[in-house]
Amino acid sequence: MSKEQILSSDGIPLEESLKKAERKNKLKAVLLVAPLFLFILIVYIFPIGDMLFRSVDDRMITKMLPKTFKAMEKWDGSELPDEPVYQGLYEDLTFLKKNKTYGKIIARLNYEKSGFSSLIKKTVRKISKFEEGNYKEQFIKVHKRWGQSEYLVALKNAAPKWTYAKYLKGIDRKFDQDRNIIQVPEDRRIHKILWIRTLNVAFWVTVFCFVLAYPISHLLATLPMKYSNLLMICVLLPFWTSLLVRTSSWMVLLQQQGPINDLIVWLGLAANDNRPELMYNVIGTFVAMTQILLPFMVLPLYSVMKTISPSLMRAGKSLGGTPLTSFVKIYFPLTIPGIGAGCLLVFILAIGYYITPALVGGASGSLISNTIAYHMKSSLDWAFASALGTMLLVGVLTIYWIYNKLVGIDNIKLG
Amino acid sequence: MKKLSKLLLALSFVLSVTTSAFAVTVVSWGGAYTESQKLGYGDPTAAKLGIPVNWVDYTGGLSEIKAQKEAGKITWDIIDVYAKDTIIGCDEGIFVEFDFDKDFAPAPDGTPASQDFFTGMPSKCAVGNILYSWNYAYNDSTIGDTKPSKLKDFFDTKKFPGKRAVYKNAMSNLEIAITADGVNPGKGSDLTYRKLAADGGIDRAMAMFQKLCTDPNGGCVFWNAGAQPPELLANGEVVMATGWNGRFFNAQMEGTPLVQVWDGQILDYEYFAMVKGGPGDADGSAMKVLREMTSSEGLAGSAKYIAYAPWRKSSIAVMEAGEPWFKDGKTNMVPHMPTAPANTKRYILMNPDFWADNQDEINEKWEAMKAGL
Repeated sequence: MSKEQILSSDGIPLEESLKKAERKNKLKAVLLVAPLFLFILIVYIFPIGDMLFRSVDDRMITKMLPKTFKAMEKWDGSELPDEPVYQGLYEDLTFLKKNKTYGKIIARLNYEKSGFSSLIKKTVRKISKFEEGNYKEQFIKVHKRWGQSEYLVALKNAAPKWTYAKYLKGIDRKFDQDRNIIQVPEDRRIHKILWIRTLNVAFWVTVFCFVLAYPISHLLATLPMKYSNLLMICVLLPFWTSLLVRTSSWMVLLQQQGPINDLIVWLGLAANDNRPELMYNVIGTFVAMTQILLPFMVLPLYSVMKTISPSLMRAGKSLGGTPLTSFVKIYFPLTIPGIGAGCLLVFILAIGYYITPALVGGASGSLISNTIAYHMKSSLDWAFASALGTMLLVGVLTIYWIYNKLVGIDNIKLG
Repeated sequence: MKKLSKLLLALSFVLSVTTSAFAVTVVSWGGAYTESQKLGYGDPTAAKLGIPVNWVDYTGGLSEIKAQKEAGKITWDIIDVYAKDTIIGCDEGIFVEFDFDKDFAPAPDGTPASQDFFTGMPSKCAVGNILYSWNYAYNDSTIGDTKPSKLKDFFDTKKFPGKRAVYKNAMSNLEIAITADGVNPGKGSDLTYRKLAADGGIDRAMAMFQKLCTDPNGGCVFWNAGAQPPELLANGEVVMATGWNGRFFNAQMEGTPLVQVWDGQILDYEYFAMVKGGPGDADGSAMKVLREMTSSEGLAGSAKYIAYAPWRKSSIAVMEAGEPWFKDGKTNMVPHMPTAPANTKRYILMNPDFWADNQDEINEKWEAMKAGL
């Protein structure tokens, strides 16, 4: 059989017309998706990319102290550096002082080691009176910290343009003089505690939400329309109320002299002067967070349960199963997509919460997000806040990946 | 008629845009404090100069203004800030540096501004606003028969059992802890900060709180908003609370039976700073507003609404001449001032440089201590 090209009606080979038509379709599809893609690019990818960038970007100080860092390349980090380093420092600081731009390195170096703020300020004030030569001596005379190697080592550690030091700080590690990774002093190891505490709170809040929401959703899904609509309003109304209003209401309810404690005393479960502490501890955090995140578990579960026909349970029972067996073998597996959606939603939200735990959790209510907020607002160490934010993002993505492996992301249904 | 109404609508729109474009934005802490500023010198200044003044709330720190600067669109003119933030902001070039005697009004008797303010400014970018106090208070109806009167009573859980409310960050807590542990402030509170900066000083101060918070007869509740301490005292959640004296005073005026203890109070300062490149910077309207608000009568005005001491010595004289000064027309305000002689028998002067240097490291240790409670 000879290979003849099939021609379409206007004489062009069919293959070509087909390709042209497919290309047109593809273009149409791309144009349809383009607005959403642009939206995601601008609203998600750029900001997250900027955050990642900020957490490793350390070029500002490298640019501002070039001579110092160049001279430090020859220094091995032990004891004190020699005269060339101090001379480089003198030249750099004089230049910065002339242009009045030394302010930025004060904050940056102070994050590296406390005490740099007053050290640099005092040095800059006195630097115009320095004489030629013998810089090391003059520096140490101005402030004794220039003779303490920890400060010089901290300065050296600020040299690289790109650094992952902030990520190390997020797990309580730092660089020592040989660029080895060591733990920070024991009384400053706060971040590991916060990570564990955050994950702990998020996990248990998810569990409590699940345990409470399952029966509620089942009830909502199986009651006749009239009643289930009324009950649904009970779920939705708090959902639409402001978060702060709900948290403040819990503060009023849970306080020592509040109504819940009054009820407990009236029922005789506790003496009047020995009232249980329901707030400013983990109890307060769990109670308030569970109530606030409950609708996020109820709604996905409800919408999945609504699609389960009641005849399935009846069929199970008619085949000889006890109600419990029918539930475990038939009903529960069918609701797993809803459980997956609800748990994932609640967990991810709970990991990022910080207002509610801060208000009702007392000392135990300090979570990793509080630290991120502190570094954004108070200490202005945005590089560190970005690093913590990125670590949180990676953690959540990891959990999502694990969930996908275990349950399968296609198994999520919101209804 | 339709044409006229359209014209009027367009005109009013144009007017509203232009007037709001020339308003000066002042940013402060909110609540009773901003109320006192707005009514005390904000509105009178706006009326006198014909420049509208907008008030915006914030929760401290320089993050918003830094973000505005990076975005290239600054919307704030004047900010009410802590001392350490004026130092940080001045270093980073965020704030305008003042020529003090030229930019600010002299006292009515001609004393130049720099001599009329109680102390020098921490940086060139700051103008003092009020002096306030971190002290502590107790609820007279829940404390029992013995009443606390000294700073160390705050930590004495045997004589005064019950929970205490404590500020959530380390600032102000370390000073009172080390003072209650027996270190007297000394001249300019030099000794307090020297002992804190020495080896083991911070651990010594934090140990006091560790003991207080883990004591079964004691216990700590951490507050972060100024309105919380009087609230916690009023509803009986705590028996003693540290807090800002002005908030305690306002609660007292509203009828809560609070009593303030001034022994070992920390005198702290609040400043105004002006943002470089703010909307009111170019035409000088922000500077005019700031100058008027920090004049002798201006600063004295806020004391009508809240018990914080105006920074100028001449303002105190204005208040004394006009007693009773409080807005209810019945209360004398000078005795309630943090700077009144009866209240300053033993006080600590807050040191902003210490905190600018060490706040990150100290806060990490403080959080680690809280985590172990």
